[in-house]
Amino acid sequence: MTDNKMNNIYLPQLVTIEDIYDETPDVRSYRLVFKDSTLREGFDFKAGQFGLYSAFGLGESTFCIASSPTRKGYFQCTFRRAGRVTNGMADLSIGDTMGFRGPYGNWFPLDQWKGKNMVFIAGGIGLPPVRSVIWNCLDRREEFGRITIVYGARTVSDLVYKEELAHWGKRADVTLVQAVDPGGQTPDWTGKVGFVPTVLEQTAPAAENSIAITCGPPIMIKFVLATLNKLGFRDEQVYTTLENKMKCGVGKCGRCNVGDVYICKEGPVYNAAEVKKMYNDF
Amino acid sequence: MADKYLKKEALEKLIAAVSSSGGCFIAPTTDARQVVFKSVEKAADITHDYVLARNSYKEFVFPQTEVVATFAVRQHGIGLTGKEVAPKETVIFGARPCEAASLSSLRAVFTWDFIDEFYTKREDRTIVMTVACTTGDEACFCTTVGLSPESTAGSDVYLKETADNGYLVQAISEKGKAFVEKYAAVFEEQAGAKTKKLFMPEKIKGIDLAKITGRLKNTGHYDEPVWAELTRKCIGCGACTYVCPTCHCFDMVDEGTAYEGERRKNWDSCQYDSFTLHASGHNPRDTQFKRWRNRFMCKFSIYPDKFASKGCVGCGRCVRVCPVRLDITEVMEELSK
Amino acid sequence: MENALRKKAKELLESGEVKVVIGYGWNRAKTRATPVFITKPEEADRLVFNPLCVNNLSVYLTRKFKDIAALGRPAIVAKGCDIRNIVVLITEAQLKRENVYIIGMTCSGVVYRQELWKGELKPEIMPTKCGNCDVRNPHAADAVIGAKSTFVPPDAPAGMVFNKIKEIDSKTQSERWGFWIKEFSRCVKCYACRQVCSLCYCERCITEKNMPQWIETSAHPRGNLSWNLTRAMHLVGRCTFCGECERACPVNIPLNLLNQKMIMVVKDSFDFKSGYDEKTHPPMIVFSPDDKEEFIK
Ligand code: SF4
Ligand code: SF4
Ligand code: SF4
Ligand code: SF4
Ligand code: SF4
Ligand code: FES
Repeated sequence: MTDNKMNNIYLPQLVTIEDIYDETPDVRSYRLVFKDSTLREGFDFKAGQFGLYSAFGLGESTFCIASSPTRKGYFQCTFRRAGRVTNGMADLSIGDTMGFRGPYGNWFPLDQWKGKNMVFIAGGIGLPPVRSVIWNCLDRREEFGRITIVYGARTVSDLVYKEELAHWGKRADVTLVQAVDPGGQTPDWTGKVGFVPTVLEQTAPAAENSIAITCGPPIMIKFVLATLNKLGFRDEQVYTTLENKMKCGVGKCGRCNVGDVYICKEGPVYNAAEVKKMYNDF
Repeated sequence: MADKYLKKEALEKLIAAVSSSGGCFIAPTTDARQVVFKSVEKAADITHDYVLARNSYKEFVFPQTEVVATFAVRQHGIGLTGKEVAPKETVIFGARPCEAASLSSLRAVFTWDFIDEFYTKREDRTIVMTVACTTGDEACFCTTVGLSPESTAGSDVYLKETADNGYLVQAISEKGKAFVEKYAAVFEEQAGAKTKKLFMPEKIKGIDLAKITGRLKNTGHYDEPVWAELTRKCIGCGACTYVCPTCHCFDMVDEGTAYEGERRKNWDSCQYDSFTLHASGHNPRDTQFKRWRNRFMCKFSIYPDKFASKGCVGCGRCVRVCPVRLDITEVMEELSK
Repeated sequence: MENALRKKAKELLESGEVKVVIGYGWNRAKTRATPVFITKPEEADRLVFNPLCVNNLSVYLTRKFKDIAALGRPAIVAKGCDIRNIVVLITEAQLKRENVYIIGMTCSGVVYRQELWKGELKPEIMPTKCGNCDVRNPHAADAVIGAKSTFVPPDAPAGMVFNKIKEIDSKTQSERWGFWIKEFSRCVKCYACRQVCSLCYCERCITEKNMPQWIETSAHPRGNLSWNLTRAMHLVGRCTFCGECERACPVNIPLNLLNQKMIMVVKDSFDFKSGYDEKTHPPMIVFSPDDKEEFIK
């Protein structure tokens, strides 16, 4: 490991890519392990937290941790090839080294939700942060009530975690509703065709004693919120995780703020009531 | 500690003493027709007739570009080394009282839960020797933001020019006292030299800081037309943020070859459109007035509320440097209504 | 002159011919001219025109300013030199001639920097461009305001920038290199020079293209040199010597020298000067068999 006298908050830890999953043509998941064995065993985080991932020579990029904190010894991230860093990351192979800083930010208050029914609503690449919570709940299944997952993407090939979707679909203790946008279906598609908010309305999970967690494109979130309100969910029952461009992750670089709120330090997890109180800086 | 006296000629000795003990002496000097803070080697290089240096001295505590780590591709993976900094004693001579007050603002950000030791280590080794203003210009507005040439906040040593071409020296902080003791040979006992009259900018009547901060608290102001009307002329050059003593924003970039390189922390500015541009192409602040509104929020809401410090010390640098003369005080006045 | 300008602006706004007049107004203390955007006829009286009106407002006609474009058809208050930039924008298909109303101002020169103004316009405080100006009577405008100027520029261009270029040209190559390296070393990579320039209208500047990273973003000698040279090269045959970049540079890098030198090279090689005729395309985007190729060596 690096021999470091100064406490350097910008210094990443080295991680190795242990496995790679191609989710869609441009979305990949990496299973990562810390090179440092103490860290590997001791690494702890909570569902909803994020990290900064380095492709050395190209820079850092921010994503949530997509695996569940109940799974020890490794963690996962899922990213889309979009900019310089994610393209560089996507060019790496199993066994290659990356950098990681984190975990940062707040988390979904799972411990307060014991006994609740959980409703997960995600669109496209919005599933990874939600997946961390889903597995967290599934690994502590007895603590929660009904579990409903509504997940949609533009087309069938844009659905991520296909194997897991199949697994959740088979489980008796999970209600999974999958959808693709109109025109995105294939001939053998057995799921729904329609936009996530519409499909959610048809699914109509009960609001009583429930918590909804949603993540996806901003426009989807907006309509999902309206639908949830229609279904009787109060804003305090609805949680989301906000994204903004981040560089430091630790409240220094000054770019992730929405009005006076620093997403990296005070977020990224908020309930809808809190989001509605924010400045229109999205 | 009793006040001391420093002869202008004795600055030569002070520079020599600081350098010979391994330190670095920064003072206003003239470079490319501008007065700037730079390291000086002799007293003759110091410019005394200036309002404020063009740059803020923040670049000596928060360098414009700073390596935080180096990496190299090795046979078995990547070698990564965190950068260590061991700053030398750095004397900032000729800071003005307004900007002296800005270090506590920067410190508040750089120590918010996570401690940026690149900053704190440098600041801990910095001695701010403020020279109170005997001259000013129409861009100065320290008195409007609750400061004045009499303010000693943030100064380690506070100097007032005297009629006999010297300085009355007051050690303000513990660091300042230790400094004056360390270089005791340079300072003399105070013998009642008369200090020059200070320049006091007129307080801008229409501005009420509490009102501004109160108004900014109401999220609805984001949709008021006043922002576009007052600030659409901003061309987003970012100069205002680079010269501002409280602006702290930076970018993190990797530079080098595919085999080795360094990770750097570089100044950045909320006035650039790329600052908040998401990889998806979405930009939450997609027009310049929104970026300018963020700067104003930062100065008059985020800094005072979140960091309990001043976001603006009234130095007027942003007003002087702005190519479209967007005067922050005019916006402050409008927002005080 | 100001009254005629205000009257014109009022008419244009009242008739609905334009939705916004981009011009100059006073700051609060009436000590500095600053850009104003007049959208209501009754506000037209805020318009001023005087030697402090240094800004080249044509930058607001570029696609960098979507919110200004959204206001509707603009009229712009422009000096002859500013109009040259508008002409380049039209030539480069950034702007349609009919989509802007040009209020041309006859001009007797402006100050180099507003801080220099002591109530009187003297050659010492004027930029080099003003002493050599051949467009004091606007050459392309929908309306011209002000009495005709009788100023005749000198046959051989003169002034500080030209003297300095001569001085630098007489140096050895390594001295010249040393001169520029020293000047560029102060660059803080703020890109004010780019932002203020109406001809730097790219939405994604090369500095922001990072796949691959063309220009390192750190303000260190390597990054500074590549930025400053790239900027200059991207303006060859286009730059009008309006001087905005040098004025905006917070660290006084003499960008006018670099720009004028490029202009002289283009003039010698192609007998072309930008911003006079919207129909003539700049030499960098046309190829003619007659092109001298001696600059490629
Ligand atoms: S905002 Fe302007 S006046 Fe205020 S501290 Fe910054 S540079 Fe100085
Ligand atoms: S957000 Fe803008 S105004 Fe605030 S510190 Fe950063 S650059 Fe300065
Ligand atoms: S200096 Fe002026 S033009 Fe430049 S970003 Fe600041 S306010 Fe805008
Ligand atoms: S002088 Fe500068 S601002 Fe003006 S056109 Fe040339 S490069 Fe652009
Ligand atoms: S304006 Fe000056 S300092 Fe800023 S990028 Fe251009 S040359 Fe560099
Ligand atoms: S990511 Fe840097 S302040 Fe939030």
